[in-house]
Amino acid sequence: MELEQKNPLRDFSPQLERTSILGYAWIVFLLGVIGLGFYAFLAQVYEGHEVTGMRDNVVWGVYIVNFIFFMGISYAGALISGTLHLFKTAWRKPIIRMAEFITIIALLIGPCFILLCIGRLDKLHYLVLFGRIQSPITWDVIAISTDIFGCFIFLYLSVLRDLATLRDYELLQLPNWRKKLYRLLALGYTGTPEQQQRLNRATDIMAAMVIAIAIIVYSVLAWIFSVTLQPGWHSTIFGPYFVIAAVYSGSAVLILCMWVFRKIYHLEEYITKKHFVAVGVIMLVLAAFFGYFTFSDYLTKWYGSEKNDELLIQLLFKEFYWPFIISNYIGVLLPLLVVGIAKLRTITNITLTAIVVVIALWLNRYLIVVPTLESPYLPIQDSRAAWLNYSATWVEWSLTAAGVAIFCLLFTLASKFITIVPVTGLIKEEKKEDILV
Amino acid sequence: MKRVFVFSLIICTMISMVFQPISSYAENNTDSTNIPVESRMALNYICSSDSLLLTATLSIKKGDITLALENATIEYSASNGAISKLLGKATTDQEGNAVFKISSAGLPADKEGMVSYSAKFPGNNKYPAAEANFIAKPAKIKLFFSIEDSLRVMKVTATQKNEKGEDVAIPKETVNIYVPRLFSLLKIGEVALDENGTGTMEFPKEIVGDTIGNIIVMARIEEHDQFGFVQGENMINWGVPKQYYKAEVPSRELWTPIAPLWMIITLLIMLAGVWAHYAYAVYELVMIKRLSKKNKPLF
Repeated sequence: MELEQKNPLRDFSPQLERTSILGYAWIVFLLGVIGLGFYAFLAQVYEGHEVTGMRDNVVWGVYIVNFIFFMGISYAGALISGTLHLFKTAWRKPIIRMAEFITIIALLIGPCFILLCIGRLDKLHYLVLFGRIQSPITWDVIAISTDIFGCFIFLYLSVLRDLATLRDYELLQLPNWRKKLYRLLALGYTGTPEQQQRLNRATDIMAAMVIAIAIIVYSVLAWIFSVTLQPGWHSTIFGPYFVIAAVYSGSAVLILCMWVFRKIYHLEEYITKKHFVAVGVIMLVLAAFFGYFTFSDYLTKWYGSEKNDELLIQLLFKEFYWPFIISNYIGVLLPLLVVGIAKLRTITNITLTAIVVVIALWLNRYLIVVPTLESPYLPIQDSRAAWLNYSATWVEWSLTAAGVAIFCLLFTLASKFITIVPVTGLIKEEKKEDILV
Repeated sequence: MKRVFVFSLIICTMISMVFQPISSYAENNTDSTNIPVESRMALNYICSSDSLLLTATLSIKKGDITLALENATIEYSASNGAISKLLGKATTDQEGNAVFKISSAGLPADKEGMVSYSAKFPGNNKYPAAEANFIAKPAKIKLFFSIEDSLRVMKVTATQKNEKGEDVAIPKETVNIYVPRLFSLLKIGEVALDENGTGTMEFPKEIVGDTIGNIIVMARIEEHDQFGFVQGENMINWGVPKQYYKAEVPSRELWTPIAPLWMIITLLIMLAGVWAHYAYAVYELVMIKRLSKKNKPLF
């Protein structure tokens, strides 16, 4: 009885058992945005890529930017959750599940944007049938599919204890199918020492694996750009630069998720200022690294005075002036100031800074992709003046919004299926506290 | 709440800054309607065997920007000063080029045989008219190939029309000889014409042709004061047949269908390492399931 009173699952029961009217309205809104995206997708399929802003010169646009962005936050989720798990960080429990959800959900959405770039979807299977191992695109396909499996296994291992808890917690008022599903997924886990030992061992190994895979996979994505002889892309530091930018954007998205779920599910008791500051400090360190890599990359290009690199830098400081400033100055300096100065280090400030960081990092990817394609080495034959510059159309923006909506929807549904905070760990911690008391 | 408002204001300002270049560009476009527009035209002339190729290139200059004008109708005419003859019309392509091909016969020429060619864009509401002229005398270059004393010899003759309309030699001119390659023309020699408008050169042996050795050879008199640009061409089977390299054992390179071994081995090691760990994790899950029979529920 005492355990039931202390059991944090009671705090999380409402989010699993019920959905408020506002919650349903939110889901309907997200479905509406997804519907708009689907309409845009149909328009693209029936009318071709002409309905997008992509042309012969700028063959990649917002889609590839979204792909890099979503893959980035996915790898960041994997790196953060894996690292926190491996180092047994004391404050990790309330936020680690969110990082794991970010990993999987973003990993499912990201590759869809690559598919949108493909003109002949009916020949997609050629990639497998005739793919060449020498091509970084093939590496990326192999790496992403391997990563998806790994992240699913890691997530499953991480939620197994909670699935067993949910299966056995009788006070939870859930439909039978869900209880059956929990029973099925819990694999008969009851927390015996041997089961715990096996689960811990598998989770530790997978935590290490997802960290390694995340670094490799995001580096592969960076190599797609850096192995091509294009101004702005052909850089040796693109691999680590992409990894840092990914974790940086992911830490900001994690802060946003923490803030949202803290508000919606009233988790003030579990997700405290301490957690925001801790992730904020991670964000601060990554901001410094990101700034350092950005500066190093542009400095060497600038001093190299290679003709096309100079043209690219001129383009960034003229036509893309404000996106460049927001991405590389405000996006770097704001976290340093807000998290660095103790007085400014509040939950609201850190969250608002995270919003700025997310915008800045999205713009960073846009600045990597579009200006370079607008200034190619060789003039393209039969190119028209109207094709030289890229401007995204409503189709691309609708599908972008749909991607974000799917991310929010899957996160919402995931939080309805399993607690957003791992309750088993909290029960244990409370038990330990009892003993200490 | 006040802080949220301030931050919202900052973010809105940032977003408006991001989109500022787009709006300012639109403003520039609106303002640019007051900038005078200038039409420019260039006329390129090539005389080859019995035909003439007139290429007019039309562009517009608006401030500092020069753009090719597409879908514009160009009128071509020829005159001898007294009589003007409309030759026909052509429409510009996306690069502003309008190509017009006519027979070199029946053109109004002056006493010296010179013809004045004209390309004219009449203009419209948006763009002013433009015109370009070119004066030249029709001429002809012919190429002949023969083998003399086991040497491959190419003979070039250049002729022009006299007052009676008969072909007469173009003496003492230099003709450049080219072979078209993938991106441009490869110059393989020069032929100096004699009094009879004839010149010869030994044809090089090492020029690569197509798969059966065919080569297109071009002879050109270029930028001549009187004849302008005259071109003649012929094809001969004197080239080295192009052979695509087929290695008995396919090489393993970055660009070949088969990948280098080191790449395959590295990939396999990495994938095997990763999937072995996955398999181990799944094995542990299976073991957890097997151990479940003995266990009691958590609550």
